[in-house]
Amino acid sequence: MNNNEPRLPNGLDEFSMTTASKQYSNIGRAWYRFSRNYAAVIGLIIVCSVILMAIFAPLIAPNPEHAGSFVNFRARHLAPSWEHWMGTDNVGRDIFSRVIFGYQVSLALVVGVLSLSVPIGVLLGIVAAYAGGWVEQTIMRFNDMLLAVPPLALALAITSILEPSLINAMIAISFLWWNWHCRLIYQLAKSIVTEDFVEAAKLSGASHWHIITKEILPNCVAAISVKTTLDAGFVILFGATLSFLGLGVQPPTPDLGTMVSTGSNYLPEYWWEAIMPGLAILYIILGFNLLGDGLRDFFDVEV
Amino acid sequence: MTVESSNLVEIKNLNLSFKVYGGTKQVLHNISLSIAPGERVALIGESGSGKTVTSKLLINTLNPEQIQIESGDIFIQGKSALTMSKEQREALKGSVMSMIQQDPQTSFNPVFRIGTHLLDIMHSGDKNLGIKQSKTEQKERIFEVLRKVKLLDPERVYNAYPWQLSGGMRQRVLIAMALLHPTRLLIADEPGTALDVTTQNEIIKLINQLVHDEQLSLLMVTHNLGVVRKTADRVYVMQHGRIVEHGTVDDIFASPSHPYTARLFDSVPKLFHSEESVEDKPETPVLVRLIDVEKRFATKKNWKGSVINEVLAVKPTSLQIHKGETFGIAGESGSGKTTLARMIMGLSELTSGNITIENKHLDAWRLNNENRYSIQMVHQNPAASINPRRTIAQTLNVPLKHIAKVTNRKQEIQRLLKLVELPPEYADMYPSNLSGGQKQRVAIARALAANPKILVLDEPTSALDVSVQKSVIELLEKLQRQLGLTYIFISHDLSLMRNFCDRVAVMFRGELLETGTTQDIFNKPTQRYTKALIRAIPVISDEEERHKPKISDEDALQVLQQKY
Amino acid sequence: METLYYLSIRASRLLLVFIGLSIIIFVIARLVPGDPARISLGPLATQEQVTELREKMGLDKPLVSQYGQYVYNLFQGDMGESTLTNRPVLTDLQQALPATLELVIVAVMFTAIIGLPLGLFAAYRPNGWLDQVTRVTSLVGVVTPSFLLAIILQLMASMNWFDLPVTERISSNLDAMPSYTGLLLIDSLINVRFDVFIDSFQHLLLPAFALSAAGIAQVMRITRSSMIEFSHRDHVDTLRACGVPQKLIHFKYLLRLSTAAPLTILGLEFASLIGNAFVVEMVFSWPGVASYGVRSILHKDFNAVVGVVLISGVFFIVANLVIDFIIGLIDPRITQKGK
Repeated sequence: MNNNEPRLPNGLDEFSMTTASKQYSNIGRAWYRFSRNYAAVIGLIIVCSVILMAIFAPLIAPNPEHAGSFVNFRARHLAPSWEHWMGTDNVGRDIFSRVIFGYQVSLALVVGVLSLSVPIGVLLGIVAAYAGGWVEQTIMRFNDMLLAVPPLALALAITSILEPSLINAMIAISFLWWNWHCRLIYQLAKSIVTEDFVEAAKLSGASHWHIITKEILPNCVAAISVKTTLDAGFVILFGATLSFLGLGVQPPTPDLGTMVSTGSNYLPEYWWEAIMPGLAILYIILGFNLLGDGLRDFFDVEV
Repeated sequence: MTVESSNLVEIKNLNLSFKVYGGTKQVLHNISLSIAPGERVALIGESGSGKTVTSKLLINTLNPEQIQIESGDIFIQGKSALTMSKEQREALKGSVMSMIQQDPQTSFNPVFRIGTHLLDIMHSGDKNLGIKQSKTEQKERIFEVLRKVKLLDPERVYNAYPWQLSGGMRQRVLIAMALLHPTRLLIADEPGTALDVTTQNEIIKLINQLVHDEQLSLLMVTHNLGVVRKTADRVYVMQHGRIVEHGTVDDIFASPSHPYTARLFDSVPKLFHSEESVEDKPETPVLVRLIDVEKRFATKKNWKGSVINEVLAVKPTSLQIHKGETFGIAGESGSGKTTLARMIMGLSELTSGNITIENKHLDAWRLNNENRYSIQMVHQNPAASINPRRTIAQTLNVPLKHIAKVTNRKQEIQRLLKLVELPPEYADMYPSNLSGGQKQRVAIARALAANPKILVLDEPTSALDVSVQKSVIELLEKLQRQLGLTYIFISHDLSLMRNFCDRVAVMFRGELLETGTTQDIFNKPTQRYTKALIRAIPVISDEEERHKPKISDEDALQVLQQKY
Repeated sequence: METLYYLSIRASRLLLVFIGLSIIIFVIARLVPGDPARISLGPLATQEQVTELREKMGLDKPLVSQYGQYVYNLFQGDMGESTLTNRPVLTDLQQALPATLELVIVAVMFTAIIGLPLGLFAAYRPNGWLDQVTRVTSLVGVVTPSFLLAIILQLMASMNWFDLPVTERISSNLDAMPSYTGLLLIDSLINVRFDVFIDSFQHLLLPAFALSAAGIAQVMRITRSSMIEFSHRDHVDTLRACGVPQKLIHFKYLLRLSTAAPLTILGLEFASLIGNAFVVEMVFSWPGVASYGVRSILHKDFNAVVGVVLISGVFFIVANLVIDFIIGLIDPRITQKGK
């Protein structure tokens, strides 16, 4: 909960209600309110810049051919300069070019993981909260179990079974990630199902499917979007950690975590080889985080 | 700046704004208000009128970063409060004015004992006044004040956590908090509103007595004209952040001059009419019959799932509801009235007994597809019973599609909106654009869309302001005439039932005390509890007061003690 | 008595979690492609040798009875043999555990000691300078991957920004001392060896900081937002209206009410803390369970993998029990309201 927006004193809900509803009903005003949160706008700019870089990587990267298994030993270990903004690595590839292509891999990971885990987590969370009884117990106890495993350990175990690759990293991370969405949405939905409007919908003859998708889900959308945005950053962080340990995307595909890992062998003389890709990871995570925090303040939801 | 004034507190031409979303929103417009020493003043208004803001401004608990005083001034004992230092202003709390908080449920920090709260307040006040005392002496003084607010076992209260005390006791502690140090002005913000009417009555009496005994001034902030009549000499009427009228209670109650005040008086349901219009409805057949219906809830089960501990929510109850009548179930919180209605609706299983509708067993009756959704419900709070993320049309669509199976739903929605007197363009709006009363009309329309035979009204107006309440009740009466509906009306508000219900059942702690026509229950109540309940209702005229059933104070006290 | 009852309920739930966890991880470990017996013996072993080892390891039996056998052995203190080190997994873990335990405990202490007060003070004046500073630092803490932080810390040390050791638990030139707990900080105090205490603490500083940074940021944020959330409640108004000073309300009433949320988060974060220990231990060559775990995963040494994950699970469960106990002390509603 950020405190940029002044809260109204207690007992004055009627004012905030009317003001807030007017804010929501008007996209222009909503944008105004969002744009006043500078941190969130910076986050949006960062995220957009990374997405654009990833899409237009072949056009933007100074040396697109360096993305693959290119070797030029004469140019190895060059410090950052005008020609190579982030220096070159141990086989003479331009790190900046590889970072831009690395973003492609990171974003692919994010899209893959979130499009797998968010729908599953959300659906199971709502179903658990709505159905109750043994369905709820089964889903949530399974959830508890997954919570007790260090996520990295489990992901490592899974990727080691499946052989390291981008797709397998996605599967491993998704297997862990739905859990968090499920918990969040479960708690939210649990309070929504006790609301009178759910009972009223039942009395109106609505089907279970209608109640789940039309009554409960729309009230979770704000929380889901905030959580998903924040998670995009953490998925990248997690994926980078996996590949740092050698269990993510395999060379020569440019991957930021792998680049840090390889570069760290040449510390401290050739510091840029580890630090530059590291900062690139930080940049994108920062972007998603600022944006997510901004959305959280905007929607005023807890995640 | 100081002015010569005999007033204890005076607000002069005050304009106040809140800083909201980068802009400001004016909430108080040119407020002027004064309280003389020993005077009892009431501030009345509906939600959003700014009455609470005014009281918080006086006691100074508004966040200074969020408010902006545009013009005007506040004088406390003749001194301008706006020029006072922060410390001076703080020192007034508890020594010149004290505030009784509104809601006993939320006004305590749940992880600290009552005593910790009291001791810290005592300590801060002593520090301001320069009193140095040991903890035992302070504790003794606290106990004395607790006895003063009629908490007879101060030791137990002192050592209890807030959630271990009843609402009434907590409200008394809140009063004690305001009286720990000698003070001159007591500000009471809707005291006891969150409590049952009988408890509320006791709290009001207690405040009156304390104000009298300690010769205090009183600022009573309330929405209830009956409370004003009981507690104040002068009254200020607020609407939309403005004081629209003020004067002595006698004058304003005799002839309100501002149209808003007049409307306020008009919307208060009368407890007793001078000329009783007894329109005898023709006897109609019995629609719903309850035979020895009982409900127990398990509160604790052992590991095998068998019940160890249970509460009796509804003791064996038999009653009949006739077709086309408005049947009221009256009772305070925890009386079992809602459980009873939910059993009739089939939302809650019976533990034993039998319910028949149209002479068929409830389950058998509901098996008939036509009757499956024939009992509809209007919930208490429309803000909670209408999904905020769906438009009015989407909400109304559900029963039309699934129950009524209407093909031309657009047209049907328009018809429904017209039926509940809402403009057709509301169909595409979201609930957040509607007021509370309008939302409740949508909820009624949704219930009607299912073509019900019986409509259960679960305190449908308790979340609304009195002026809105009246129009909703009028709408319900009109619909009943038009559609021949049977109403089951659940409420704690007896005065509302007086004018709305044909017959009333009074429930107390799961037990049905008495059933009868509304006239009989109100004019000749047989049960002590019913009498106490009617007597506790704040009324707005001496005539109504005279008509209340007689009950000795001892009996009333016994009823109260029975509750805890 | 109520507290005991409450704790036993929590404990039984966590036991259930543990059983489920052991099943999940056991199944996953057995799904590893390739024959563990073959991997263990190497490519030169004969088929008979492999079959013999398979029978010895019980790999020819169905999964259910393998699990039953495993649990039975577990209660005998036998977690199987590591195919990588050819030693009992329990012995390996016993050796590696104290190092990890020490690292994680110090990291958690950092988290609580730094995170809670910062959040507390930041919330005292929302949007004040301290709040702004902590907000930026917590953001950096949350978004920095722990491996990057570990590398940056090492880089800084190698550039002599500060003089702290960056590998191992203890300098090799110190005299040996008898070990009781395996925790160097405690052993050194028992042996009255302050040189060892200081040396091992210096070794701990950087890895523990790298490990705790994210947690510190998280706890700081939650504490702050929880304090601010509660400061809008009615009961704060009650005390303010009665003249209780802001300081007392904030540092007594709000503090106690607001600590439950960050403590719960701390408990849940334990899992990811242990996860991050994998990376930090690798970077700082810390001889703990995590680096043992990474090695065994890379070598598909499944007895060791199961052992490491189970130990992490026990860690998580014990830590959460402790936190539940503390929350129960702070908030009387949890232990007493049932009545």
